[in-house]
Amino acid sequence: MSAVAMVQANSVTKQVSTQEGNLTILHPISISVLAGESLAITGASGSGKSTLLGILAGLDVPSSGEVILNGNNLSALDEEGRAKVRAGNVGFIFQSFQLLPGLTAHENVMLPLELRGDKLASSKAREFLERVGLNSRLHHYPQQLSGGEQQRVAIARAFASEPQVLFADEPTGNLDSATGARIIELLFELNRAQGTTLILITHEERLAQLCQRRIELAAGAIVSGRE
Amino acid sequence: MMLAINLLRRNWRSGELKLLGFSLLLAVSVLSGISIFTNRLETTLISESNSVLGADYIVRGSQPHNTEWPALAEKEDIRQTQAALFSSMVFAGDEMHLASVKAVDTDYPLRGKFEVSDVPFAINASDIKVANGIPAPGEAWVDSRLLPLLKIQLGDKVAVGEYDLNITHVLIREPDSASPFSMTGARLIMNMADLPKTHVVQPGSRVDYQWLIASDDNGKLKAFVDELKPQLSKHQRLIDIDSAQERVGRTLQTSRQFLLLSAVIAVLLAGVAIAITARQFSARHTDQVALMKSLGAGAVRIRTLYFSQLVLLGVIASLIGLVFGELLQRTVAVSLQQVYQIRLGDATFYPYGLSFFSGLLCLVFFALPALWYLPTVPPLKILRRELAVNMPQVWVQAALALFAVLTLVILFSRDLELALSISGALLAVIVVTILVAYGLLAVSKKMVLRLGGFWRLAFANLQRQRGQSLVQILVFAIAIMLLFTLTIVRTSLIEEWRVQVPDDAPNHFLVNIPPDELPQVQALLQKTKVRPEPIYPMMRARLTHINGVETTEDQRSAANALRRELNVTWSENLAADNKVLEGLWWDKWQRSANNLPGVSVETNTAKEIGLKIGDKLQFSFGGLLLDAEVASFRSLDWRSMRPNFFFIFEPGSLDTYSPTFITSIYLPPEQKSFINELLHDHPTILVMELDRIIEQIRTIVNQVSDGVLLVLWLTLIGGCLVLLAAVMGSIAARKQQAGLLRALGSPRQLIVGSICAEFAILGFLAGLIAIVGTEILLISLQKFVLDTAIQPHYIFWLISPLSGALFVSALGYICCRHVVTTPPAVVLREAA
Repeated sequence: MSAVAMVQANSVTKQVSTQEGNLTILHPISISVLAGESLAITGASGSGKSTLLGILAGLDVPSSGEVILNGNNLSALDEEGRAKVRAGNVGFIFQSFQLLPGLTAHENVMLPLELRGDKLASSKAREFLERVGLNSRLHHYPQQLSGGEQQRVAIARAFASEPQVLFADEPTGNLDSATGARIIELLFELNRAQGTTLILITHEERLAQLCQRRIELAAGAIVSGRE
Repeated sequence: MMLAINLLRRNWRSGELKLLGFSLLLAVSVLSGISIFTNRLETTLISESNSVLGADYIVRGSQPHNTEWPALAEKEDIRQTQAALFSSMVFAGDEMHLASVKAVDTDYPLRGKFEVSDVPFAINASDIKVANGIPAPGEAWVDSRLLPLLKIQLGDKVAVGEYDLNITHVLIREPDSASPFSMTGARLIMNMADLPKTHVVQPGSRVDYQWLIASDDNGKLKAFVDELKPQLSKHQRLIDIDSAQERVGRTLQTSRQFLLLSAVIAVLLAGVAIAITARQFSARHTDQVALMKSLGAGAVRIRTLYFSQLVLLGVIASLIGLVFGELLQRTVAVSLQQVYQIRLGDATFYPYGLSFFSGLLCLVFFALPALWYLPTVPPLKILRRELAVNMPQVWVQAALALFAVLTLVILFSRDLELALSISGALLAVIVVTILVAYGLLAVSKKMVLRLGGFWRLAFANLQRQRGQSLVQILVFAIAIMLLFTLTIVRTSLIEEWRVQVPDDAPNHFLVNIPPDELPQVQALLQKTKVRPEPIYPMMRARLTHINGVETTEDQRSAANALRRELNVTWSENLAADNKVLEGLWWDKWQRSANNLPGVSVETNTAKEIGLKIGDKLQFSFGGLLLDAEVASFRSLDWRSMRPNFFFIFEPGSLDTYSPTFITSIYLPPEQKSFINELLHDHPTILVMELDRIIEQIRTIVNQVSDGVLLVLWLTLIGGCLVLLAAVMGSIAARKQQAGLLRALGSPRQLIVGSICAEFAILGFLAGLIAIVGTEILLISLQKFVLDTAIQPHYIFWLISPLSGALFVSALGYICCRHVVTTPPAVVLREAA
């Protein structure tokens, strides 16, 4: 494991204005995730997990503090700049899979590669779908796939673009425990093989246990952490 | 670009773009169908009505045309020929008649044909044939009535000047027969080559020389005419169909405006369909954009990707649309040809280009605003679906659409008044919709509590999706408004045309009836059961002084009425088609202190001369002077086929002058020989035969009416498809709800009933708003564009909301009916 921080958050906060005044969602949070490391963020609903994940991934901007992703200070960039950083470094897996209903499994996996202008998009997508065991489902549409299969397509899509960091938002949240277990297995297997940094949000103790580190959020602040 | 093509292909395959693509396809199909058809109809109508003129343009003057022109015209592939018209005494034995002679050259007429017969006064089609060419040298074709007038028969000789011509045919119909007021004698057509032999045309003779030109290449012809104009001498005038024939010209002008209006309405309907489907498309793509952004695609990239897809789609759909439009208009043209025996001319390139361009323009103006916000969708939405997205407000889209309408209408019509009328009415509809719909929806909120069954469900749905309901009402209202406007305009136009030339419109003028023969003529008319229009005394007079000052050269050059002797009359009663615009008619008018008799002046003539009420005018009646005071200004209808006068004097004021009398009568074809009888007993009477002109006008009106009806049907189909698109847009949500209700065990009746009721309420409200918009649009169209009378359409206030409710609910039912027969699980899965 390299000692370089892949994702670093320094005193990151998030406030939103509501009718009742400013609401603090995240109190100053500082974390550092090393390259190849896996981190689980746990906490109850509304504790600020998704907000933190969004900020760390560069999908959202903190109210104060800074986020450095693979050496890029996201806080100093505009949305266009952050998109560029995401394009080269970040992959996502979502609780609701977020597959495009009009595209086949193969096309869904191809999309991020195509956006990067990868000439080998088709063959790479095929290869990753094979790796997640869906080589017979290439031309199926999401609605023709089961939940577990859809999440496997999402995993293939996330790894196909060979990201430095993979952000996963409750990846097993919509799946039954048996399917969830197989998805976890697949996720960690690919993560190991690719040497990707993994930051995931989960409710599941079993999944959190598999990560090298874990922080727990409550009311927008870190209440416990494990090295 | 490859990615854009791939995405377009995938979006199309998944059905995401199909609605948008089909709307555009529909737009371009309907638009090109209508505009190509209109263009063909217009070229046909123009060439058909130019046959009334005998050419596309005529240079008419008191001197022969420039001898270099024919060579120039031929160099440009423009066909040309010439004619000379003059009045001349023709003789046969002891009989003579002041005939209206037309000497024509080879190739005359360039448009239309002579129709001749060997049977005088022929009315049976089998007796009438189309003439091949013109009379051969030494021959003449004459009006049937010339035969009894000269007591001769076909094959006899008639002398024109010093030359004898052999009468080989009677003339039944001729192009350019529409100048009856200048030529009152019976027509004689002869070959131009014989003209010098007659020695009739001498220096100083009054001859109307005509040089006729025509070409199927409009561009070349226009360019040639533009070059010709500066070369015309002050004795020559260039005449086209509009200036030659006010009646036909006006019918054509109005029909052109109607067809144009139809095309514009078709564009609008398609635009509305595109706007709706684009909004639906962009709403569905919010998640996709958020995903693409999370994967690192920037706003610029997203914009480029989506706009490239849009342009690609636009080009492809427009091209296919053009093909469909072409097929559509061909089908219509073929049926027109079969049913009405009308052969349409070829279309020019213009409608193709314009339709293709308008398709793209529609897409840019109507679809782009809906997609504009897509690149601004925050990537965070991928994690937090509840995150609000700045969808463009409906009013922003509506404002942009309105701007688009203005641009498109101006582009199509180059008619600012039309553009402003339509845009104004649309704006009014939008404002009224928002006010009325909010009001009515608020009222319906209370009704929810009182109603039971599916009505309650229907009202609750409308309440819950107030914004969507509003948009749907707006769309329905605009579509219904445009369709009703078109229907009403068409009906009133055709009615106006029919009224203009009713079946029993007077078709003969009897002029120069001597006062002592008037009782006998009246008795003769009564005996033959010919009903005359009012009989007017008529005198020739020249207006010489205005307020004691002799008219100047400037005034004379500005006003036709000052240049020549005018037919004047007196009358107690105002003719039905006359209207006093200013001043008073005799029943209320009082002579002023100077005790001069009053005179009523036709309003345009008064404007040309610059008259005011109370002005003192002096007239010369063949040297006898009469002073009169301007009592009123009148409008009159030159199209009425009845005697009309520029100046009408107060009754009794002309008693000292000896008038002749004029009237008009309607003679059905089988009574045509009555003229014979009349002229036999009263040889000094001049008969002007208008039946040929009326026949020509009627043919044209019928053609235009049929064309207009077909165009209306095409636009109606377009309108129905828009309604369908609007219904389809909300079908997914309704399906989901229906599926859910089904899953919970609701009876079929409740679900179908609530869907029908919901659409019926939407349709009813839309119909109500639509009729308000229709009236507003009609008022501005009638006032500024079509120049027809403004009148309310009470029956439509009932028809509009009811048909709206019925039609929209039927559409809703058709779209949703399968949700009650499909298993709920399938419906829910589809909807999800």
